[in-house]
Amino acid sequence: MSRARSKKEESAEIESDIAMEEAPTSHQPEDEMSVDQNEDEDAGDVEDDEDEEEEEEEGQRVRLLPGSTPTAASFEFLNEGHTLGNALRYIIMRNPDVEFCAYAIPHPSEAKMNVRIQTFECTTAIQALEKGLRDLQELCDVVSEKFIDARQKFAENSS
Amino acid sequence: MDYDPMVMDDAEALGPVVKISQADSVRVKYELSNADIAFANSLRRVMLAEIPTIAIDLVEIEENSSVLADEFIAHRLGLIPLNAEGVESLLYGRDCDCDGFCEHCSVRLTLHAKCTGDENMHVFARDLVPTGERVNQVLGTPVLSDAEGLGPLILKLRPGQEIKLECIARKGIAKEHAKWAPSAAIGFEYDPHNKLHHLDLWYESDPKTEWPPSEYAAWEEPPQEGEPFDYDAVPNRFYFNVESAGNLSPDTIVSEGIKVLQQKLAGLIHELADEGGNSMNGDYNGPRSPEYGTGADGFGGYTTPFGNAGNQSSWGGAGGTTPYGTTPYGAGQSSWP
Ligand SMILES: [Zn+2]
Repeated sequence: MSRARSKKEESAEIESDIAMEEAPTSHQPEDEMSVDQNEDEDAGDVEDDEDEEEEEEEGQRVRLLPGSTPTAASFEFLNEGHTLGNALRYIIMRNPDVEFCAYAIPHPSEAKMNVRIQTFECTTAIQALEKGLRDLQELCDVVSEKFIDARQKFAENSS
Repeated sequence: MDYDPMVMDDAEALGPVVKISQADSVRVKYELSNADIAFANSLRRVMLAEIPTIAIDLVEIEENSSVLADEFIAHRLGLIPLNAEGVESLLYGRDCDCDGFCEHCSVRLTLHAKCTGDENMHVFARDLVPTGERVNQVLGTPVLSDAEGLGPLILKLRPGQEIKLECIARKGIAKEHAKWAPSAAIGFEYDPHNKLHHLDLWYESDPKTEWPPSEYAAWEEPPQEGEPFDYDAVPNRFYFNVESAGNLSPDTIVSEGIKVLQQKLAGLIHELADEGGNSMNGDYNGPRSPEYGTGADGFGGYTTPFGNAGNQSSWGGAGGTTPYGTTPYGAGQSSWP
């Protein structure tokens, strides 16, 4: 009896490619750069690369980009995209204390999303970001509640 | 409801409104109004790509004398919708302590069929049998939504041919592979009369006669003859049509979608609160009091992006090495469907 093994692994491969890429397009602090270089030295060892990747995922997902001041800051989100970016941009822009907010995905092959927030003096960019996240959460709560209500009403009316 | 962080007009004071026009076991059609397109699109995207479900991820083929290649069959198996009820109590393979797979992070299914008659035999998803321990009694069972209860056709066997294999189904999301998508399709529509001119309709001679009206055209006021274009108008009513692939009910897809969004937000809020921004390695550490900066480098009223102390403006700093400066700013958003 012959034994064939078909292993389907569609994941991870792409991500480890990114990790090996040199010269990241967005800001990398010096210490992270040196980690990348170490990775390159033993780039032949695939398992090592995957471990690095996992550690990064568990770690920090938001970071402040260099050049930020309290009222004008750029944030980098790991593993986020348009799904969070655009909704967050919208909700932060609705904060009257915010002068400017925009988001961008600097490069499509890097799972990074940048948000720029500039506030008036009465608040800080970090506070505006946190308020934006909470406001969006509240909006989600309301929509979820409204959907469940509407679904129940629909079920009552149709029965 | 009391969502009014920054109410701008009376209509918005009501907050978002959901109206359901059709709901059954296959689809739910609803209208979300008094919401922004950014939020509506986030909801659509999250329902499409980020709701965890379960799908076959690993196939061990013991016997395959059919005409189809092993990997071809493995791919077809991956695409079979499996019941994802209770998938939240299943662990992701990467989070499990086991080596490979176990009952906490996977569901095992077996398929064994041999054509013993003298006519071709059809092997259906129904023939995939879940075995071993499971989180609950339905998780991982193939979805059989056709009238005969057969499910999708996997392959056909000629007399004498045999297929014997074992599958490991794992938890995942459609962002990684489309086989984990809970929705067969999500309809998303707004502005049925194209008053906002977000669409540029192709036509031979007259777009009005050549393009059939949307099913929601009657829900909204058609444009008046000679009505001037409203430059300030923004889309406000969004028509969703969530069609389930059978693994989760359409209602569950909507609620789970919102839940996934909330988990995303909760994680980020937690991180911000936890670290207080202290580990954010930027030019300054952690949040400062609102008074910060009003002293030495104080600018009256507000700070412009150029009011940045030091040798680079925040724009200049960002523009130097990030694509903010090197690609058109809108590049990220232009791929936004
Ligand atoms: Zn396990």
